[in-house]
Amino acid sequence: MSIVPKETIEVIAQSIGIPNLSPDVALALAPDVEYRLREITQEAIKCMRHTKRTVLTADDVDSALNLRNLEPIYGFASSDPLKFKRAIGHKDLFYLDDREVDFKEVIDAPLPKAPLDTAVVTHWLAIEGVQPAIPENPPIEAIVAPPDGKKMDHGKDDSLPIDLKLPIKHVLSRELQMYFDKIGELILGRADTPLFKDALLSLAKDSGLHPLVPYFSYFIADEVSRNLNNLPILFALMRVVKSLLSNPHIHIEPYLHQMMPSIITCLVAKRVGHQISDNHWAIRDFASKIVASICRRYGHVYHNLQSRLTKTLIHAFLDPSKALTQHYGAIQGLSALGPSVVRLLILPNLETYMQLLDPEMQLDKQKNELKRKEAWRVYGSLLLAGGSCLYDRLRLFPGLLSPPDILPWKTNKKIALTNLPNNKRKASSRLTAHQPPTKKLAVDPTGTNSQFPSTDGPATSSSSGSNPNHHHSHNSSNNNSSSTGNITNANANINNVSGSGAHGQRVAVSNVLRQAWKEDLDAGHLLSSLHGLFGEGIFSFIQPAEMHCFI
Amino acid sequence: MEEEVEKAVFAYLRKKGFRLTEIALQEEQTRLSSDASSLSRSESDAAKYYDGYGKLRSWAYNSLDSYRHELLRVLYPVFIHCFMDLVAQGHMQEARTFFQTFREDHEMMHLRDLQTLEGILSPSHLEEMELARLWRQNKVKIRLCQYSYELLVQYLHKTQSLAMLGVINEHINFEVYPGQPASMSDDSEAVSLIGTSQDLAREINQKELHWGLLEDSVEERMEKTLSESDKTEVDGNKEADTEDNNKKKTDGNKHSTAVNNKKKKDKVVGATGKTIRSESSMVSVPPRVKPELTLPQFPPEVEQSILEDLRNRVQLNSLALPSVSFYTFLNTHNGLNCSTISHDGSLVAGGFSDSSVKIWDMAKIGQPGRASNPQGENGSMQGMHSLASDEAKRPYSLLQGHSGPVYSVSFSPFADFLLSSSSDNTIRLWSTRLNANLVSYKGHNFPVWDAQFSPMGHYFATASHDRTARLWSVERIQPLRVMAGHLSDVDCVQWHPNCNYIATGSSDKTVRLWDVQTGNCARLFIGHRSMVLSLAISPDGRFMASGDEDGTIMLWDLSTGRSVSPIIGHSSCVWTLAFSCEGTLLASGSADCMVKLWDITSSMKALKTDDSKSGPASRLRLLKALPTKSTPVYTLRFSRRNLLFAAGALSAGS
Repeated sequence: MSIVPKETIEVIAQSIGIPNLSPDVALALAPDVEYRLREITQEAIKCMRHTKRTVLTADDVDSALNLRNLEPIYGFASSDPLKFKRAIGHKDLFYLDDREVDFKEVIDAPLPKAPLDTAVVTHWLAIEGVQPAIPENPPIEAIVAPPDGKKMDHGKDDSLPIDLKLPIKHVLSRELQMYFDKIGELILGRADTPLFKDALLSLAKDSGLHPLVPYFSYFIADEVSRNLNNLPILFALMRVVKSLLSNPHIHIEPYLHQMMPSIITCLVAKRVGHQISDNHWAIRDFASKIVASICRRYGHVYHNLQSRLTKTLIHAFLDPSKALTQHYGAIQGLSALGPSVVRLLILPNLETYMQLLDPEMQLDKQKNELKRKEAWRVYGSLLLAGGSCLYDRLRLFPGLLSPPDILPWKTNKKIALTNLPNNKRKASSRLTAHQPPTKKLAVDPTGTNSQFPSTDGPATSSSSGSNPNHHHSHNSSNNNSSSTGNITNANANINNVSGSGAHGQRVAVSNVLRQAWKEDLDAGHLLSSLHGLFGEGIFSFIQPAEMHCFI
Repeated sequence: MEEEVEKAVFAYLRKKGFRLTEIALQEEQTRLSSDASSLSRSESDAAKYYDGYGKLRSWAYNSLDSYRHELLRVLYPVFIHCFMDLVAQGHMQEARTFFQTFREDHEMMHLRDLQTLEGILSPSHLEEMELARLWRQNKVKIRLCQYSYELLVQYLHKTQSLAMLGVINEHINFEVYPGQPASMSDDSEAVSLIGTSQDLAREINQKELHWGLLEDSVEERMEKTLSESDKTEVDGNKEADTEDNNKKKTDGNKHSTAVNNKKKKDKVVGATGKTIRSESSMVSVPPRVKPELTLPQFPPEVEQSILEDLRNRVQLNSLALPSVSFYTFLNTHNGLNCSTISHDGSLVAGGFSDSSVKIWDMAKIGQPGRASNPQGENGSMQGMHSLASDEAKRPYSLLQGHSGPVYSVSFSPFADFLLSSSSDNTIRLWSTRLNANLVSYKGHNFPVWDAQFSPMGHYFATASHDRTARLWSVERIQPLRVMAGHLSDVDCVQWHPNCNYIATGSSDKTVRLWDVQTGNCARLFIGHRSMVLSLAISPDGRFMASGDEDGTIMLWDLSTGRSVSPIIGHSSCVWTLAFSCEGTLLASGSADCMVKLWDITSSMKALKTDDSKSGPASRLRLLKALPTKSTPVYTLRFSRRNLLFAAGALSAGS
């Protein structure tokens, strides 16, 4: 009846040298043992509470025994909880692992390190009720944004320690102030040093930076508008934005609306950087990536974020009065938002836009070399946008991808392989989009879109004339001509080819193909229209395996 | 019938003269009856309790909705007494099964008691255990409405369950009141039904209580100067007048200290007190009371510094939350038992389980170089002074003297003295200037769990495992008063701001308020469900907060003795509580590594508006929860300028 069975009493009796304990005694003792145990436990819990702990230790039991004027049980005091081991072969028999200690070992063992002495450190758990996100405080998932009124206007100078008691002011610790000043100095002065890299890393990782976010967003907005012609600073600022966005401890949503204008400025500004030689394309690309990542991450929080952004960009894109650089930025921004955005917003306007762009790209119509170069840029970015959209479409239909392993196709592949170096170059140039598209695409000005072989000749000549910078890219165009001709034919007659195939396998494949094309006719249209506008350049966006299908 | 037959048989036998047959028959009869009765009793007693209680329980649970909660209240005492009856009659096994079967019902409300009572396994334990004795010796009082009572009586008559009837008659007093049953929320009254304490509590809580603030306190004088300077502003010659006033006042102080003529002082003070009240009558100013103890006077420079602090005090309310400065103890190796922070936050003391007390001066920690400098200068003397330099290297002052774990430390109001209480049954007074032990106070017979300096210094109160709280003055080694009455350990003690009362929290789940002059219990607060660990009294002296082991915080109205609002504030022990200086906020620190800030004013307003109705519906509003990094919060203190200091030991490994 007691939780202490009489067998336990008997075992204990034996262990202290009473071999024959009568069962009656054991039975009588058992309940009392339980009672005493409970009593001691109760006192031990009191001692535990008064040592401000929530875990009962052997010390507490000793104190409890002391309270009752009993001898404490020696030998169990330890800071760790005791580990009981289960006896092998017995289900509920446990024992304490009590190793025998060899004196020699103990003597030979090096002295343990002296434990560290107790120390007291202080930190701010809260400042006027708000927990500063310093390492001493636990990381907070979502800090409530401070009300709008308190953050911007005071800039750096209001960040006095907390003696300042106006409840509206945002209080910044001295450390954070120094940190902020240092980062600002790095951005404006020494953005190329390794120190700046470390700073970016710290911005992306540190947990305590949340109080600084409003200051940073203000700082960025301010500096972007002031330094539009200073490319290195803009770059540094954008990198800071990127780091801040990637910091998991910062709750940046409330400040996005302040940061977005600066980023979009970098994306679609008319002039960025004061020298012609400045690579302002790079910062536009970078900004477009940031914009896209913001949309991806916070699009669900701010449902109108992307719509507002695309509206801004499409306005920039469709306004013919805007500079080509702005168009470029807009296209880059839109295409970074994903292929579906491109399909919905850019492609419908592509044809009209190309008509606009065409004269700009031609040597005879646009005399200003700089302008022409810009036009080629825009052309490249459009191609990239359309191509990635196409690529995405095709990717959705993996049935198209299985390359039919038939002999003629293999030979075709060989031919394609011969083009490889050239194709590669094209691809790389397009991917980075830093160079105008290859001259072969320049055939388009002639307007004869579908007939490649016929345009080959003029294309070479025109490009060599108009783009001296990119001479090198296409000396092998003649090699290509045969294969490109094949490709065009294949493309034009795709259904015929697949239908007329004499091989049984191919019929099956072509059926699948036809099905797929039916289901997604617009992809086919897409391809053809893109091909119409860009010519062969678009093919580099089709995976090799898919190419087979078209060839 | 049978008896008549028997009588007839006996008569017949007697008439016939069959004497031996008669005797044999008689013998047989007695044997039979005793056999039957003993058998049936031992067997059926246990079963009777079991069945009877089971039926009563299902009946109570199936009773009418509006009366159910009242009837359920009856179950717990019946349950306990059934169990004890079974134990007392020696049916150990049955008692155990009975207990285990029905235990669940009461676990939520009375877990602690159940755990204690579960250990009772023999009649002798009933005698030994305090709680059991209390239950046996006292009647439980239960308030029932008229109809509930009738229902219960009807049920007991109808079912003829004599065991239940017996238990209820023997151990429960019903207090029947007319009208509708009380609402559920009043249930808290029924939680702790220990003996006559309910009656006692009501009786005690009828007593008059002067909860107001002290006359002639520094705050009051501050208000006075303020109002006077306002007045003189109107007059135009502000400065000269206030100066004059100040001079007068300090003169007056000196005078009173010198003469120490209490009567005279009181007269002066009474007059000023009246003017204050008339001036700021629109604000609810707590009433002023006279000190019952002879209180020490603050030296003028100290008073000046207090006044300075009061002027610079930040107003806190639900919108303006305090700043919290946290003192983290590192490398305590689980040895820190308690800590305290001086009023200005410059000194932090910790009491350790290795019997030591350590004091950190935060001003010195800021400049670590200073401590090590002299060592370098005295390089040649290093051998001789190695001990001294070792002393100097330490960033804290180590106070050694106790011979057992130190359970509490408390600074005097101006941090020139420190009290520590220990499991060696003593309280020691240390000087923080000399870093030396001044006095050891012996009087308690068991570990002293808590010691607190009075708000004015000079006096202190202690709480001990010996179930008493004691009042001491620093200059006597014997206690001035012994407050006895708690039924279990006194775990914490706190002074009322007017120094006329001390509050104690105990393991018997009650909080008591004691009059320091008479040593009598002035208030008894029943409502906690586990050991009370922390107490705080609002600066206006009207409210008291108490925190317990389960994380519940209760707020009490001292004047009525009623609970204002029980809240489940934390998920673990509430180690510490503190009111902000205006009493608008309550801060609580807990073992669940949180500091929480509670809005007092809103719940007070709610209280005031429906004071006429039964109040406890209102709840404290949580303003802010500040988690720490795995650091349980041991101590909280608002400085005079309303900066909140907190301290705790970093618990490694968690």
